[in-house]
Amino acid sequence: MKSPIKIVWRKEMKDALRDKRSVMAAMSYAFFGPLLMAVAFYVLISQLTDTSDVKIDIEGGEYAPAFVQHLQSRGVVQRDEPWPAGRQPITLEIAGDWDENIATAQPAKVTLTADFSSQKQRTDIRRVESAVEAYSTQLTYIRLQMRGIDPRITQGIDLVKHDTATKGSKAAILMGSVLIFILLSVFFSGMNVAIDISAGERERNSLELLLSQPLTTSQLVWGKSLAASAFAMFGGMLSAILIPIIFKLLPLHEIGMSISLGWPMVLLIILLLVPLALLATALQLFVSFRAKSFKEAQTYISLLLMAPMLVVFGVEFARVKNQLLYYLPLTGQHQALLDIIKGEPLQWMAMLVSAIATFLVAVLLLKLISRMLSSEKVVFGL
Amino acid sequence: MIEVKSLQKSFGKVTALDGLTFSAPEGQITGLLGPNGAGKTTCLRTIYGLLKADSGEALIDGVDANKDPLTVRTKIGIFPDKFGLYERLTAREQITYFATLHGLEGKAAAQAVAEVIDRLDMNAIADRRATGFSQGQRMKVALAQAIVHRPQHLILDEPSRGLDVMSTRILRDLLRELRNQGTSILFSSHVMQEVAALCDQVVVIAAGKVAAQGTPDELCQQTGETALEEAFVKIIGTDEGIAA
Repeated sequence: MKSPIKIVWRKEMKDALRDKRSVMAAMSYAFFGPLLMAVAFYVLISQLTDTSDVKIDIEGGEYAPAFVQHLQSRGVVQRDEPWPAGRQPITLEIAGDWDENIATAQPAKVTLTADFSSQKQRTDIRRVESAVEAYSTQLTYIRLQMRGIDPRITQGIDLVKHDTATKGSKAAILMGSVLIFILLSVFFSGMNVAIDISAGERERNSLELLLSQPLTTSQLVWGKSLAASAFAMFGGMLSAILIPIIFKLLPLHEIGMSISLGWPMVLLIILLLVPLALLATALQLFVSFRAKSFKEAQTYISLLLMAPMLVVFGVEFARVKNQLLYYLPLTGQHQALLDIIKGEPLQWMAMLVSAIATFLVAVLLLKLISRMLSSEKVVFGL
Repeated sequence: MIEVKSLQKSFGKVTALDGLTFSAPEGQITGLLGPNGAGKTTCLRTIYGLLKADSGEALIDGVDANKDPLTVRTKIGIFPDKFGLYERLTAREQITYFATLHGLEGKAAAQAVAEVIDRLDMNAIADRRATGFSQGQRMKVALAQAIVHRPQHLILDEPSRGLDVMSTRILRDLLRELRNQGTSILFSSHVMQEVAALCDQVVVIAAGKVAAQGTPDELCQQTGETALEEAFVKIIGTDEGIAA
């Protein structure tokens, strides 16, 4: 006789694959997530490597033609066209007493007016500042030399910067945020199916009959959760495969980064996601089998999704470092993925332990759900 | 044989079943008649093991659903209180799903499904998805799900709700045919005509107890009334919650 788990799984897969909403949900997050990241990085890279002139308003340029020419040579020029809507003008105002101050070796006043909190204009402002500072240094040198003093006297310390960041480690910071997409895609992709096969079953009034069939609740729950996990895995696989491809297309070398993720590593990432997909599904089923309708389940699950997001973002941004993280569900996969990206030696043992831990938690949750479905209180909402 | 022995069940302070005892033998249609809230659905759910009785037992061929639910469920066909269909599956797929859950496989399953589709005259809708099915069509699918594995016992909870005349006739013919094949059929209803037209035996339930039991004729005789409806009102003591 065929296993009831397989019968339920096949029926749920057939049902879910015909549901355009579920398929779209599984696809879209896995697909658009990496794509969104790609666009964001593309913009970031082009901003960082932008060498076109910075066009600003220069007022009082007629008082200091030599200064204006210096600015021009550094790529800071007078703006002719109006500022685009929503962008604060950057204005450099040269005081009328420029000549007098230069002649008497006083500080000449130049006012820079701009929105210093603006992310978009940060590089522009920075370039204006450094152009002005360079001119100021030149002036100082000339003034000192004219008085017969070695200009080096103004330099107390000569700070030499050695950037030890390798191309790989710079990339890791970038990839860290991308990893979050891979991890979360497992949680997002199976969500719709998970709701449909649990709360949906109750909403369309088919739960009672299904529970009265000759199969145990744990067979039912396993069949259903394997179907939803299949969708979760599909999403995880899609984003794991897409992300290295997208990064190959981005001009990362222009900002001094190199990311190479071979297919064996992609395969390893996919394997790491398998127990996580089961855990994600188990969590979602646990919540949405209690809900009375699709809507209610969606509300609960969107709250539930905050949990993995908080954990992953928390670890990522707080830069928590603890060996324990390698062994726990979710954080274990996160750390392993980070190591893979950074090209650091992999902790196979820790990977295995976290995979088993993840799997065990999922099994435990599924057991709980099976017991829940044997309880008349939960089934009939008494 | 379906046997119910002094079932007790309460939800909080509400007593739903209060020492209910009756039996539904093979080759008979037994009607559970009672006003709304009398405990009909609770009784049926206890028989197929979704609810646990506080005391007493419900047996199918001597097996208690609370102790061995899987054995009980292979022996019965259920037409539940609420029957939702899977909107994205065709009628044939839904029926096949339940057939396979009952252990039918491959060709045997396909044949059983084809037979039941023929019997219920639903070839026209068999390969359409359930979205847009009428109430009568939905009932047929639910009925087909209940009988596709040829159960020895059939339990139906208010099967004629919302059905038109034609669908009701199909249902009645089918139940009679199954009875003649030796199936024991237990169905609940609050519709007098249906019970009078169909049942070999009527069990009148009120407030979780058996108020009277017998053939429709016997019930009339017991109460000295000529119509079952009057007899029923006399037994219950009120005509509340009953449809003629």
